[in-house]
Amino acid sequence: MAIIERPQSSEGSLLRDGTDLHDLVDADFGRISRRIYGDPEIFELEMERIFRRAWLFIGHESEVPEPGDYVTRDLAGEPIIMVRDDDTEEIGAFLNSCRHRGMRVCRADKDNVAFMRCAYHGWTYATNGDLRAAFAEELYDEEHLKKEELGLIPVTKVASYHGMVFGTWDENAPDLEDYLGDMKFYLDLLVGRSPTGFRVVGAPQVWEVNTNWKFATDNFTGDNAHLPTTHGSMVELQMLPPDPMAFSYGTMIDTTKGHVLHMVPGPPNPDGYYFGLPPEQVDGLKATLSQAHQDIARDHFISVGTVFPNLSYLQVMVSSVMGGPPAPFLNWRMWVPTGPHSTKIYSWFFIENNASAEYLKDSYECYVRTFGPSGIYEQDDMENWEECTRVNVGKIAQQYDLHHGMNMHLEPNPDWKGPGIAYPTSYGEMTQVAYYANWLRWMTEDDPTSDKVQK
Amino acid sequence: MITAVEGLPGTPVQIGSEIYSELLTMQYQDARYLDTGDFSTWLNQFHEDIRYSMPCRITRLPKDGPGFDPEMEFFSENHISLSTRVKRLETDMAWSEQPGSRTRHFVSNTLVRALEDDRYLVVSSLMVTRMRDDLPYDMFTGERRDQVVRTSEGFKIIERVVLLDQTVLRSYNLSIFF
Repeated sequence: MAIIERPQSSEGSLLRDGTDLHDLVDADFGRISRRIYGDPEIFELEMERIFRRAWLFIGHESEVPEPGDYVTRDLAGEPIIMVRDDDTEEIGAFLNSCRHRGMRVCRADKDNVAFMRCAYHGWTYATNGDLRAAFAEELYDEEHLKKEELGLIPVTKVASYHGMVFGTWDENAPDLEDYLGDMKFYLDLLVGRSPTGFRVVGAPQVWEVNTNWKFATDNFTGDNAHLPTTHGSMVELQMLPPDPMAFSYGTMIDTTKGHVLHMVPGPPNPDGYYFGLPPEQVDGLKATLSQAHQDIARDHFISVGTVFPNLSYLQVMVSSVMGGPPAPFLNWRMWVPTGPHSTKIYSWFFIENNASAEYLKDSYECYVRTFGPSGIYEQDDMENWEECTRVNVGKIAQQYDLHHGMNMHLEPNPDWKGPGIAYPTSYGEMTQVAYYANWLRWMTEDDPTSDKVQK
Repeated sequence: MITAVEGLPGTPVQIGSEIYSELLTMQYQDARYLDTGDFSTWLNQFHEDIRYSMPCRITRLPKDGPGFDPEMEFFSENHISLSTRVKRLETDMAWSEQPGSRTRHFVSNTLVRALEDDRYLVVSSLMVTRMRDDLPYDMFTGERRDQVVRTSEGFKIIERVVLLDQTVLRSYNLSIFF
């Protein structure tokens, strides 16, 4: 069953008023039209061409550790269930909708179940999605109740990488690992660096922000240039360095499929940084990853990035209190578009399974105090994203494109030890522009994941 | 966490008693410090060992309880982290409060329980509205549980737990206090 209608790139790039989407993103010069951040027609096209085709994050395997565990999520605006089958113990994902009248079958955010029973007429599904029983089955003709065809609608493809579970509604989507491409190398550094793996601690924090989802991803492409101003309060409290160029060092990486990130070194440290991890975690990293991974980990202590289209992470080391020592934490977040001007944010705190109690406590407190909705950093980020969204819907404002030009023509560093195109700075807008160029491919091309770049 | 009256620890303190009035006055003053932006005085009410928490909540079926997550919070604070938040607001670059929120903290349904060692549990319903700029207002409702201890400087709050009714915050940030 084909769920997805593929856009025709020849006509599909035209909006109803005749505007060509190609005219809204000028990746060579770095001009982005304000119109892409909230035009309802563009939002509908994004849902069709990006969100119902791309691999999207669903959750982490540790959120459903036991057979019969489920959590409810959103995949491209549709409610879904991620459930661990009590028979095979495999993780599956299904549309959270009964085949009878469409009722939501699982109605808690999480639970442990032997089966999933619809509250309307009692149709009952196994944890592998099969329809086990309909109501009053004996009253149906045989051809009117083919139970083998009436299981929960599965997410078309489900796959995981280092415990990160992704799904796509597109049967023609490439395999997850092809989709991730060179980003896999960096995911290894983030969630593949511990021989014991990672777990999510508690539930994700969830909050809804009146922003277009792309202002969040734009900020999570590795935008260090906002630190001295947006987070100026932290500079004043001496929790960030006063020199505005202190944040400029590092490397910005375009992995060429819309997945982008940066890697930032800390103050001079002869022992290396290893993201500020405690010694036993550094040992685990060294025992697990390649020499190239180890070299990059040694040289960096902060990394922020985005997996196209809407999964981002922070591997950060900051102080959460004045005069206090910094602590490292790993935070993953998903920007779920709920409308052209609204985004539901899911934010997960991750920790290595073998974390010491002290590392867990320091890392957790640092995360909650600095990021998330109450975070003394993040509070001010959302201020920006909401106001940008509100202003950029104006038709006069939209006559003037947004400006992305910093360090645009910097030459890549050929000696970078990881994959991707690596620019030797943390002050640049090339990862943002690379992200938008990929956005444009998805919005206009039949096969945006092909290696051939269409102009 | 949220329990019936019989499930509350300690013994009931009568409404209208001297202790009750003193602790209720503290609750009202707390609201007024916040609503007038007097954060440094607000901070003085807290014991140096304050634990200030707002757990995250998820939707669970009744068999699984009220759904407060034992491992994840929106606030996980001690005295120095609360002080850091207040100091941050005193800079002129805390953009989430430049311009500032106009809050109103409504405290009601207050019950007081006497605990051991001259401590009291003050359980209230809390409604907080926040207006800012010309935006639609945010509203938070929930239960607030303060544990108060008598010290040489009078009563101090040594534990504050805010149990929100919301699972998904319909608010872009928590730049205010509860």
